[in-house]
Amino acid sequence: MNWNDHLPALLLMIPLFGAFAAPLVCLLGKTMRNVLLVGLSFVTLLVALLLWKSVLAGGIAVYVMGGESFNLTLPSGMALPIRIIMEVDAFSAFMVVCGSIASFAGALFSTNYMEKFTGLGRFVSLYFLLTLGMLGMMITGDFFNFFIFIEIASIASFGLVAFWRDRPEAIEASLKYTLVSQVGSMIFLIAAGALYGKYNALNIAAIGSLLQFGVMEKIALVFIIGTLAMKCGSFPMHMWLPDAYAEAPSGVSCLLVAVSQASLYGLMRVCFSLYGVNLGGSFIPWMIISMGLASMFFGVTMAVVQHEIKRLIGYHSVSQVGYMLLGLGVGLLVLTDAHGMAEYGFTAMKGGIFHIFNYTMYKGLLFLAAGAIYYATGKRDLNEMGGLARRMPFTTAMFVIAAAAISGLPPFNGFVSKLLIYESVFAVHPALTVVALLTSVLTLASFVKVFQTAFLGPEKSVFTGVREVPSGMLFGMGVLTLAVLGATLFPSWTLSNLVEPAAKALVDQAGYIGAVMGGGL
Amino acid sequence: MFGTVYTGFGYWDVTAWIVFFAIAAGLTLWLRAQGREDFKEGTDQDEIYWSGNPVPEDGAEISVPASSAYWGFRKAMEPFYKVLTGMHTGIGTDIVGFYVLTVAFMAVFILL
Repeated sequence: MNWNDHLPALLLMIPLFGAFAAPLVCLLGKTMRNVLLVGLSFVTLLVALLLWKSVLAGGIAVYVMGGESFNLTLPSGMALPIRIIMEVDAFSAFMVVCGSIASFAGALFSTNYMEKFTGLGRFVSLYFLLTLGMLGMMITGDFFNFFIFIEIASIASFGLVAFWRDRPEAIEASLKYTLVSQVGSMIFLIAAGALYGKYNALNIAAIGSLLQFGVMEKIALVFIIGTLAMKCGSFPMHMWLPDAYAEAPSGVSCLLVAVSQASLYGLMRVCFSLYGVNLGGSFIPWMIISMGLASMFFGVTMAVVQHEIKRLIGYHSVSQVGYMLLGLGVGLLVLTDAHGMAEYGFTAMKGGIFHIFNYTMYKGLLFLAAGAIYYATGKRDLNEMGGLARRMPFTTAMFVIAAAAISGLPPFNGFVSKLLIYESVFAVHPALTVVALLTSVLTLASFVKVFQTAFLGPEKSVFTGVREVPSGMLFGMGVLTLAVLGATLFPSWTLSNLVEPAAKALVDQAGYIGAVMGGGL
Repeated sequence: MFGTVYTGFGYWDVTAWIVFFAIAAGLTLWLRAQGREDFKEGTDQDEIYWSGNPVPEDGAEISVPASSAYWGFRKAMEPFYKVLTGMHTGIGTDIVGFYVLTVAFMAVFILL
């Protein structure tokens, strides 16, 4: 048996096992609980890296669950696949690597951060279920299973956002997220059902091979785009996000960043691989570009005036998602125009995809740093902070790296992905670049404020007893800092090995369909 | 591995930037080293100047809170922020309403 063939299944099995084992293992004590949480998160990361390596070397990995053979998508006599199929191309593998790093960092951080909480068996179970839902969304090739994994991730998120049960704000944030998320999921299910009703298939590749862009398909598309854009925090459907990110424990906020990217992944998968060349006209690409611009600008302007640190970072999430929507929207705009794609479209897509990696790393790090401040000081309001750099030098250093990266300061990785986006979207219209640049300036202004008010200035007497956070939390932040610095110092390697294969896979609709259907379009 | 990233319209070279940064940092440190030789630590020269008043012992009394940062920007943009913060009611039904309206808007325009 070649283990490489079974990596897609293994990737889901490990967090699933962790989720069910947690209540039992946690009976054995705190050490065993932490070993389970960190150990299985690390093994999941290793499997994700192996899967990425295997996909780069051998092309798209297809895995059939419950069939007579793991790679037989169309048993003899069948025109359409009916089994649960995982389909992992370079874009999926890239997303899985991003998500697994965030999950591992969040798990490491949580070992110390969650010490003050009770019911940690449930926390570990929900954490693994959230990881499972996220990874499942990233590798499933089946539309209905995508919905199932969204639901797994959503239900786990509701519990984790409300995990701080004695804070009414946490319960309220979870309730709001539950409300909008469930309405969105129902709309998504209606779209999936409509496509199933017409094409008699739930597999994305199978539907993609048959799709005709009629009235029903148009309605289904906007239902799917609306839901997934809401779940990744796009303006004007983002209002649940700052509340949920601010109230969740910081390790969970770090993972939620990656989960929101799984929704963005789904949006792009549907646009590029399901509809792709059948998308018809430029309405949808311009819709995505417009949502990107609005998210960037309104997200950052809301962030500038916040003084609660995690809410401020939450609003920046809305703003950063805008960059990815802009880059990938421009790629979608020129999907059927070979000249435009070669000239600037592919660069915009590379920028958007590179920004997914960068955003997941530095935004996760910012949430962890905000959590570290809260752990050490008990404060969330920037008005009450000051002079913490003396007491928390490591946290300060890592926060500065993340803040510089998100603000697009050279030489950090955020600058490189933003540069790719600025220069390519300029070819569509200069106004797009102007909005992106303005957003970057306001992002810098916002993080200068955070850095100045939290870490600089005279020391406040209430903080004389403050100490640097425990090693588990520092290691959690350290993992993401290393990822940020790696992408900063080796942008060429990151682009060649992570980003470009992902962008090529995303525009290759025929390859995605052919891996399951055999004959391509 | 460090390599140059080509954007199609320009390029980015992290190595060149690091070399530039090192030279600039070296130059800055050299300029700093040329400072006044009559400076003595632990004397009056070391004291914080607080408009001629005694410096408060607790930093909390002299720090600028985050809410005061960029007050001019917020004042100038007040009409904009009035609309924007008005949208963020925090009410669950409003959040769902924005989602439903956005989907409905897209559905109408894609069918036109």
